[in-house]
Amino acid sequence: METLQKLKKINRRNTAVIILMVLAVLLAGILCLFVGSSGMTVQEGFQALLGNGTPAHIRIIQNIRLPRVLAAIIAGAGLAIAGLIMQTTLNNTMASPSTLGVSNAAVFGANLSIIAFAGGFLSTGNNLQSFDAGANPYATSVLAFVFAVVSVLLILGLCTLRSFSPNVVVLAGMAIGSVWTAATTILQFYATDVGLSAAVVWSFGDLGRATYRTDAIMAVVVLAGFVYFMLMAWRYNALLSGEATAKTMGVHVEALRFVSLLLSSMITAVCVSFLGVIGFVGIICPHVTKRLLGHDHRVTIPVSCLSGSLLLVLADTLSRSLGSGSALPVGAITSLLGAPFFIAIIFSRKGGHK
Amino acid sequence: MLKVEDLRFAYSKNGRPVLNGASLELKQGEVGILLGKNGSGKTTLFKNILGIEKPMKGKIRFEKDNLLKMSRRQRARRIAYVPQHIHFGDLSVMDSVLMGRVSRFGLKAGMEDYVAVEKILADMGLLEFATRSAEALSGGEKQKIAIARAMAQEPKLMVFDEPTGNLDIANEQLIVKEAKRLAREKNISILASLHDLNQALEFGDKFFFMKDGVIKYAGGKEIITEDVIKDIFEVDMAVREIDGRTVILPVI
Repeated sequence: METLQKLKKINRRNTAVIILMVLAVLLAGILCLFVGSSGMTVQEGFQALLGNGTPAHIRIIQNIRLPRVLAAIIAGAGLAIAGLIMQTTLNNTMASPSTLGVSNAAVFGANLSIIAFAGGFLSTGNNLQSFDAGANPYATSVLAFVFAVVSVLLILGLCTLRSFSPNVVVLAGMAIGSVWTAATTILQFYATDVGLSAAVVWSFGDLGRATYRTDAIMAVVVLAGFVYFMLMAWRYNALLSGEATAKTMGVHVEALRFVSLLLSSMITAVCVSFLGVIGFVGIICPHVTKRLLGHDHRVTIPVSCLSGSLLLVLADTLSRSLGSGSALPVGAITSLLGAPFFIAIIFSRKGGHK
Repeated sequence: MLKVEDLRFAYSKNGRPVLNGASLELKQGEVGILLGKNGSGKTTLFKNILGIEKPMKGKIRFEKDNLLKMSRRQRARRIAYVPQHIHFGDLSVMDSVLMGRVSRFGLKAGMEDYVAVEKILADMGLLEFATRSAEALSGGEKQKIAIARAMAQEPKLMVFDEPTGNLDIANEQLIVKEAKRLAREKNISILASLHDLNQALEFGDKFFFMKDGVIKYAGGKEIITEDVIKDIFEVDMAVREIDGRTVILPVI
């Protein structure tokens, strides 16, 4: 019974970490809500959140900043668990949310929409007035999503034809991803200056594209993934012992891997399609979590989620404060902010469990 | 009782057959030792029995059940595996052993699973390690934890793939003794592959000599003769009686 007491203590520690992380995300979210270039005071911002104050303030808080903060929380969580699950199911520490070439495919879809069909997209600074006369602001997201899904299904389809070994999946993902990139390059080669710059700007991740509707769609997909991943936590733990051993413990490894890859790629696909490419969150957050708290998926899944949200909210706050008026691409900030921290964690012996 | 009949297997459709009609029988509570050169098909035979690979032809029966028709979960409640290369990921020893019960509890470990695992850890003298990271332990300790994990499956048969391959002499003895004790106390059958013939003699009740994907010789200690060893391993060895024990020595 003494052992069970010790275990309870560890569980309490993990619960405390999760609660602290939730508080940190909430705090950062509130901070992010009240930081910006409009010169609004915190008090005015708070009033506007409750629906009081000048119409401009209400609009800024409720229609611009709130959906943006929510997008950061949802996409950060989604990209981080997608990365974690990719790493576990492919038994590859270098795996990321877009290992199956999802981002490359989405970028191609978006480029096709912008360059070939003169599609529009919502972005920071233009979601108050109607963008480019007549262009449907969702066309680009839709096409990006369609190509991302096609790419995922193509790879998973190819991999089920043959055996489903992790290395084959990673290599197939790399190959198909490079095909999309090549196609994008050709498309960009023939693009006009305006089309090219719009397409390049699209590929910089930008949380300003989020609306309540896109937030809701992302939330549904991320939540579905989260619930499934949490239910499978013990099976992911079993997978850490190796594929063969997991099979002898009764885990249907092939099915688990298929559904896991599909769900994590879907999460990545919606996030990238609506927001553009936001790199690195999906690699650093799971790694830092595993390094500090061990590999138990009952802990790493929720904590990775929360650390992803925290990183993206902080990065977005910073990107909006640094850009003097127009926000810097948040994808660049996540790497700038995350990489030094990541390196520090990797090189510190204290942080490691080993 | 485990009964394997005429098992045939190749790793790819038109590839070289690794199992060419392997058959063996092991009674409940017996310790069976699989012997043979590298590449003779020992690990592949284990993989087929464990359900990691699917045979192209042949039957595997366990008690009255057809193992090949069973789901992985049903199979995991009967047969457990102690692999040659053991890794757990950075999990506590408790969680690593608890994992063995995933085929029983499904999604979430309950109180009875924790109690069962605590009992196994206490029985194997591993309780003091319970909250330490399994990955940071020594080779011998990891091997014991892998056995504990297999025990947590409450199996009727445990399969050991070269259990002493990476261990020093002291740990080798410890693991072999522990496995044999469990077999005797809990009436669990054991099927193990070993390289050391003397260790095999000490450990086993029944011996299976494998060559070119078939079990060429099977039986008790009496079948281990100089001729059989010569045929299987293509090396000259001397079988001697020393202090009432059979000992196998290299011929110099």
